[in-house]
Amino acid sequence: MKKRLTKLISMAVAAVLTLGVMTGCGDNSGESAPGTTQAGDNAQKDNSADEGKTVKIGVLVADVSGEEALGFRSYYENYIADNYNVEFSYTDALESAEDEKAAIEKFAAQGYEAIISLSSSDRAMQIETCEEQGVYYAIASGVLDESQYDTYKGYEHFVGQVGPSNQTEFEAGQEMGAYFKEQGVKTVALYGAFIPNPMHVYRTAGVIAGLGDTYGGASDMDAIAGQIFEDQSVDLTKVDGDIEISAYLQGYGDTTTDELNAAIQKEPEVFLSVGMATTFFTQSLNEAGIAFSDIDSFTEMNSTAIKDGKLTYLAGKYSSSIGPVFALVMDAVNGNVIRDSEGNAVSFSQGYLVATDGESFDKYYVSDNGDSPIYNKDILDGMIGDDITYDTVKSLIESN
Amino acid sequence: MSTSKRIIGTLAIPVIASVILEALCLSHGQNIISNAKSFDNFVIYAAIVMITTIALSINLNSGRFDFSLGSMAALSAVIGAKISYTILDGGAGSAALMLVITVAVGAILGLLSGILYVLLRIPPIITSLGVTLIYEGILYTLTSGKYVMTEVQNASMSGFVGTWVYATLIIIAVLIFSILLFDHTKFGFDYNALKNGQKVAVNTGIKEVGNAVICYMICGGLMGIVGFLNAARNTNINGGQLNFGSIAIMFTAFLPMFIGSYIGKFSNEKLGFLLAAIVMSLLNATFAVFSNEVTASMQSIINAVLLVVFLIYLNNENLLVRILSPRKK
Repeated sequence: MKKRLTKLISMAVAAVLTLGVMTGCGDNSGESAPGTTQAGDNAQKDNSADEGKTVKIGVLVADVSGEEALGFRSYYENYIADNYNVEFSYTDALESAEDEKAAIEKFAAQGYEAIISLSSSDRAMQIETCEEQGVYYAIASGVLDESQYDTYKGYEHFVGQVGPSNQTEFEAGQEMGAYFKEQGVKTVALYGAFIPNPMHVYRTAGVIAGLGDTYGGASDMDAIAGQIFEDQSVDLTKVDGDIEISAYLQGYGDTTTDELNAAIQKEPEVFLSVGMATTFFTQSLNEAGIAFSDIDSFTEMNSTAIKDGKLTYLAGKYSSSIGPVFALVMDAVNGNVIRDSEGNAVSFSQGYLVATDGESFDKYYVSDNGDSPIYNKDILDGMIGDDITYDTVKSLIESN
Repeated sequence: MSTSKRIIGTLAIPVIASVILEALCLSHGQNIISNAKSFDNFVIYAAIVMITTIALSINLNSGRFDFSLGSMAALSAVIGAKISYTILDGGAGSAALMLVITVAVGAILGLLSGILYVLLRIPPIITSLGVTLIYEGILYTLTSGKYVMTEVQNASMSGFVGTWVYATLIIIAVLIFSILLFDHTKFGFDYNALKNGQKVAVNTGIKEVGNAVICYMICGGLMGIVGFLNAARNTNINGGQLNFGSIAIMFTAFLPMFIGSYIGKFSNEKLGFLLAAIVMSLLNATFAVFSNEVTASMQSIINAVLLVVFLIYLNNENLLVRILSPRKK
């Protein structure tokens, strides 16, 4: 009897264990790919917007918690999904190129027609995998480096890329550094976010240049970025100039709080971040009374941080800036794959908007909010259709 | 053992460590504790290490290896954060309410873990691995793998870690509680008897099962406090700790557990854990001073080397005493 009870309990525990592991893999209800979560109320969406079959789009994400990521997701799931006959499925946080490849293969196996990527561990592999699987692919809120773009721009399923170019990322960091140099700061702490992620490398290179410092004796974009890629970090012994970088940290994990506290202890005049500081560090920096800056997006949390906290500079994207990528993907799925004048996948660069106080923040935040995003249905409808051309899309992106 | 030997044995490691680490920091032009904020961090870190060490030692001293400590801390903190946020919306008293709920939830999670252990009667290391996966899975489901931030970012929480006072009160409370419970109650006497000779203790009529379950429950409650302190200190809780991502927390307690047990030979074991936690916090503060030179990965390596060196010392203590003692003619 006792043995039987033990066996029963063991079986029950094994079942619970299996369940526990499965729940850990995300919400796999319905038809969503394993390890993904589906947009909330797609089944009850406003179908009056577009007739016909529901377009299924997989979204690759590395960040599931950041302010910018949440803003993007809300725009797709709460605005786009309500206005178009589309279903978004998000991956869990992808941590490696292997994760990205596996996610694309799962989406393809589930019949998804397109992938929008916000994850950048290995975009070349993402494009190759989508090409193999016959699934349309587009990059949102970022771009490939030039050599990669040249390699892949002719791929049949590579729809295109819309986001800040590496040059734009560098300039965003440079403007931030220059702003604080102009303010007369002498010591700063620097958060390199997720270096070697290219956009964070270029932003960090820009900050160093903007502060008027050199890195390994170099002051131009390619030379600084090249060294940071090589170092996979910022080596403070290589930084030289009038403004001292008193502490540097990157990534986010078990040791980050200790690293942040160490940086705060060095009492920098300002804490410069090239991404996600408002997500991770707002409370700690507010409490320490250290002014900080970030490259992020115009969201409610950042609104509070700039109005009531110590956030003094924000270079941001607005949440609906990923609207044009969606439009391009819809065109491709509907049979109108838009190509540039040379017949290649399209590439559009988007810039950053800068806020240094509550008033300038609201100028962008209020105009891109909830039900009234900058890329609203009227504008997106001008980019979606059988007769839409490259020039039409280009002019609409440039005018917003 | 004479009183003077007890005092020297108890304070030797903390004092020697303080002197060496302060000298290192002075060579860098700074003190270990450079300002009020670094003192706050020092005390809070000491509290986290001490409580984790006590929780780890309770079961490990009885031969029960428990991998689930980290998952209990994270899961209880998430539940505590969500409930307290639902009730108070991050307003006044949020930190206190979250602390109470987190400790209660932690104790329940520990209790469930203990019940599973005594029912299954399989090696505790296996049970704890299973429990870790289950709790991590629930944590992931509750948070969708995201960091929990809104619920723990408020004035009440920042006020809690904005001063060393609350962490000190927690240290004192936990220390008194654990000393009273394990050294001055029947439960404690039974626990010590089981720890030192399980078969003999059971034959004398001590109820092993009940004692083990209560131990797990206490561990859970203590890890609830750790979960709360970590949430307040980090200003978030990582909800995406799958595949044993939560077990790292227990490894931070190994070195202080060995140091504390060594100090305990001269005084009280729990007091030893406090002093060991202070040593670890001093080391952590020293790393902060050298943060630009010693990276996080190098710090992990240094901690591991220190653990190995200390274990070598413990295993060869008698040999060293023989070598260093004046030889009798």
